[in-house]
Amino acid sequence: MNVIIGLINGMISSATPLLLSALGGSLTFYAGIFNIAMEGMMLSGAFFAVLGSYFLHSWVAGIICGILGALLMALIFILFSIVLKVDEFVTGVGLNMFSLGLTTYLLRQIFSVKGAFTNPGIVSVPRIHLPFLESIPFLGKIISGQNLIVWLALIATIVCNFVVFRTQFGLRLRAAGYNRTCLDTSGVSSNRIQAISLIICAVLCGLAGSFLSLGYVTLFSENMSAGRGWISLAAVILVSGKPLGIALVSLIFGLADGLGLYLQASLPSQFTAMLPYVATLIALFFYSMKSINTKVEI
Amino acid sequence: MRNFIINLAGILIAFLLGAIVMLFQHYNPVETYGALFGYSLENMYSFMTVLKNAVPLVLTGLSASVAFASGPVNLGQPGQLLIGALFATIGGLYVDLPAPLMIPFLILLSMLGGAIWSGLAGLMKQFFNMDEYITTLMLNMIADLLTFWAISFPLFEKKANHPQTPRIFRSGWMPKIGDFNTSVIVMLLAFAVVWFIFYRTVSGYEWRISGKNSLFARLGGVQIEKNYMRVMLLTGALAGLSGGLIIMAGPHRFIKGLGANYAWDGIMVSMVANNAIVGTLLYGIFFSILQTGSLGMELVTQVPSELVTVLQAVIVLVVVASRGYFDMILKQILTRRKMKERTS
Repeated sequence: MNVIIGLINGMISSATPLLLSALGGSLTFYAGIFNIAMEGMMLSGAFFAVLGSYFLHSWVAGIICGILGALLMALIFILFSIVLKVDEFVTGVGLNMFSLGLTTYLLRQIFSVKGAFTNPGIVSVPRIHLPFLESIPFLGKIISGQNLIVWLALIATIVCNFVVFRTQFGLRLRAAGYNRTCLDTSGVSSNRIQAISLIICAVLCGLAGSFLSLGYVTLFSENMSAGRGWISLAAVILVSGKPLGIALVSLIFGLADGLGLYLQASLPSQFTAMLPYVATLIALFFYSMKSINTKVEI
Repeated sequence: MRNFIINLAGILIAFLLGAIVMLFQHYNPVETYGALFGYSLENMYSFMTVLKNAVPLVLTGLSASVAFASGPVNLGQPGQLLIGALFATIGGLYVDLPAPLMIPFLILLSMLGGAIWSGLAGLMKQFFNMDEYITTLMLNMIADLLTFWAISFPLFEKKANHPQTPRIFRSGWMPKIGDFNTSVIVMLLAFAVVWFIFYRTVSGYEWRISGKNSLFARLGGVQIEKNYMRVMLLTGALAGLSGGLIIMAGPHRFIKGLGANYAWDGIMVSMVANNAIVGTLLYGIFFSILQTGSLGMELVTQVPSELVTVLQAVIVLVVVASRGYFDMILKQILTRRKMKERTS
């Protein structure tokens, strides 16, 4: 029983950063932006979250700084891709490298360390203990004691789903991706909608980064996002952006990650760490088979 | 000529932005840039180091340029580089031939390794229609972990305190002429071959046309699928070659974190060069000047060498942006002139 509880908790905490950044990615996906900068936004968020938490001695400040760090990346993305019309793909790759360089540079410049920064002064985001629910057998140990950001991710999923399909903004968002000329001629600037989608994406990626460096562990290490932004991009594409689908896919990837930790006893850790990436490939395989069968070849 | 000026202007703007950052942190930008370029260009020895360090940048850059210009979004250079390096290491550890045979053998082996890894992504696209930009990215992560495992367990050098393999046989080392490492010759040969294939053969023409407009190419009788696979294999082989040459020219063994960022830097080189083959060579050498000089910069002025990574990304963004922007301004001027002619 304890193994299953541990596995589910591992799944939830691995899925949270993926879910948050993939939700951000889904908004930009609907807005018609080929956004591959989630990786950079998350990394920047993780770094600035540690920075804020360490110097301001509060996890609230940490999360705010993390979001601001990711927003910085989004503003650069908006400047280059929307204002200066640089190819989105080039902007994304450039921005990811910029984020990697900037965080490594600042890590050395501010904390004078190479590789990783860990310090008892970093305040981590608290876990939420629910006093009454805790006593429920089995479920209590899952529902209670989760990190605050896990709950935020859950709320974000529901809100995203509502916003995209049930609000005026969501309609405009989808219109920007579906037919931006039509949106422009009806008097709404598609550029503005795209910029807003990038900003919300950055907020979510900032939260994902804060979870990595203040929730999952309490430290910052070079390139600590480790391809999670890419996996979340794959998740967005797999379900064509649908927020609820993203939640499901993130949980599957999280399960693969959590399972890896359990298999470490019998397999070298390098192979178990491959599981999320292999899971992505397998998921992509099924997705592609489905679309081959349903689509008529042109 | 116009192209040259635009690129130069972009680089200058990027350097200016870097200088502003330095001023904020109370470093002297002139001194810092002086130390940067001084270290990589002050004498023959340092320039030879620049050329040697340019090898993986140029080769992964060529790999990305050929792929992007022909259509396939092969982002798998990091993984292909690692697998190529692993193949060369295994060959160099278990096979001992005389040097004239050994070096071509290891080079071919590393190219084979890279081509297998990119071919895997190519097959996934061909048979299952899986997008290559995601599969290659995932294969990067898998290659990273696979090689990490290989050097931690089966190929681990006993008594080493971090994951690495023993040195490969001496016959597999790239010979040096003075300070000149012959891996540079291999790079230039590869560059010449790629240039020839891309600009002077029928396949190269078909690739370029498919990259510009795949529907037009298909209607013109180009077999897109066949060419797709060829491009994937060639670009994988190039990235694999760069990994093999790192092993054979540099540490002569597979060390953890080998070529950590070379391949992504190569992708950036191809982007800033707008996927042009000659431009890739020039920008590859330029980025190598920056990277080699970053150590000197850190020694002289205490500016952390990581600043160069930031600078590179800024250069890419600014140069690409200014290229588009100048084009737009130029078009505007031309249209205005035309309108004036019409009205008068």
